[in-house]
Amino acid sequence: MNMKVKIAGVEFKNPVIAASGTFGFGREYGEFYDVNALGGICTKGLTLRKREGNPPPRIAETASGLLNSVGLQNPGFDGFLSDDVPFLDKLDTVVIVNVAGGTEREYVELTSRVSALSCVDMVELNISCPNVKCGGMAFGVLPKSVEQITSAVKKVCKKPLIVKLSPNVASIADNARAAQGGGADALSLINTLAGMAVDWRKREPVLHNNIGGLSGPAVKPVALKMVCEAYKAVKIPIIGMGGISTPDDAAEFMVAGAAAVQVGSANIFCPSAAIDLVNGLTNLAKSCNIDSIGELTGSLKWH
Amino acid sequence: MRDVRFKVENIRFLSGSVFELTLLSAQKLPPMRCGQFLHIETPDRSKPLRRPFCLYKFGDRTVTLAAAVVGGGTAALSRVKKGDVLNAVLPLGNGFTLGERHKKAALIGGGLGCAPLLSVPDCYPKTEYRAFLGFADKASVLFEREFAAKCKTVVSTDDGGYGVRGFVTDAFADSLNEFFPDVVLTCGPPAMLKAVAALCAKNKIPAFVSTEERMGCGVGACLVCACALKDGGGVKYARVCADGPVFALEDLAL
Repeated sequence: MNMKVKIAGVEFKNPVIAASGTFGFGREYGEFYDVNALGGICTKGLTLRKREGNPPPRIAETASGLLNSVGLQNPGFDGFLSDDVPFLDKLDTVVIVNVAGGTEREYVELTSRVSALSCVDMVELNISCPNVKCGGMAFGVLPKSVEQITSAVKKVCKKPLIVKLSPNVASIADNARAAQGGGADALSLINTLAGMAVDWRKREPVLHNNIGGLSGPAVKPVALKMVCEAYKAVKIPIIGMGGISTPDDAAEFMVAGAAAVQVGSANIFCPSAAIDLVNGLTNLAKSCNIDSIGELTGSLKWH
Repeated sequence: MRDVRFKVENIRFLSGSVFELTLLSAQKLPPMRCGQFLHIETPDRSKPLRRPFCLYKFGDRTVTLAAAVVGGGTAALSRVKKGDVLNAVLPLGNGFTLGERHKKAALIGGGLGCAPLLSVPDCYPKTEYRAFLGFADKASVLFEREFAAKCKTVVSTDDGGYGVRGFVTDAFADSLNEFFPDVVLTCGPPAMLKAVAALCAKNKIPAFVSTEERMGCGVGACLVCACALKDGGGVKYARVCADGPVFALEDLAL
């Protein structure tokens, strides 16, 4: 039984990838299990310069999920280079660095530097984080700007480029086509859904940033629909995410069109979520007599 | 740190809404320090997020937390029965550290903030302690017997209904001429911490505070439990779960 998948020329030992923002750079969960057993990890979103992020509270629990407004706190490229690259260098799993920015120039500069590092296997372009005041949301909204930023970054990107799509858009299919048109080698979706939590007794939003991004099981139906639509719209491979925690969840996304999946919020609920998914998905595939996990991808038949 | 499978050993209410929950592990627990915490799931994982609580009491195979019912998660935890299974990651955070030079320590706690301070005397028995516990009123008083069993304990209530009348920091200030500590360990609401910080700065006493903030993963990966620390003229954010929960009080951007 083969669990390997190949996306944009990069081979993954299995289709389970840790999602950006929930996994740091891989150190913390390494205390619970060998992170090299995962198919890959996406690092915390990086910006060119160090960012402090938003004041707390940065999290609010919701029914079957959570809202976050971290605000892209990250060490910046220089901090990443000195503190995290030596650690990533030693990993034996696919390393995907998530890149964010405020302006097109910042995205291009950062991508150029990050993609040159030998420990980086792929770059994931974050044009959809709703917690950044300038740039983050703007680039990911209209198809035209999706194509523009993808194209600008693709020119300087020395590794395969994944474009991470926002669900807070008019047409995910249009945005998927725009990213493909701009030269994306693969897509990942969905990022978080814009949402709010209100403390009515204090008459104020729970999050200091007022608005945050919703993730967890609550968003799975939205994410599945969008993976389906994106799969129909483009030829490039799709990495699916949004509320995945069980092997059945992962299989649903693959059948809907995903070549691999990312696991995010589930790690927050239970530290062994990602490794449990690798083991559980392997066992599920064996018990269903699946020869190669990749055969699930895009096998959905619409009514 | 490990994700440990616990069975509820005992649950005991200290007041109408505050309870002690004791958990028993089949295996020996990892080494733990005072000031660290655990991250526990809600019964039947009825809520998605785990909840953090300080290590109020702990031993080889048991750990006890003290919590108030403030919402759905704590309400669910307050209804567990002996034998119920709950998973918890522990120990988390940096904990309190005392040294040879700390011959005398003042423990200053406000409300449920007294809980993380209780295990300090057991972890560092060579130090002489005095505990100052502050509460709003008589009905809110907790932990007096637990602390009194370990050291001289002064209880204050804001309205004077029990113990000394006034803020806990007034009782601490009043005792300085006869008990001048080498270090202060504290935990409580922001207004109390500001007063403790001012007193310690004025008297040049180093102080350490156990902080809390809404948490996500609890292990340092997701960055939501941000605690503002002074950074030149501005602030930087540290992770309560991994860089803390204990910080030098003077570093907190209160």
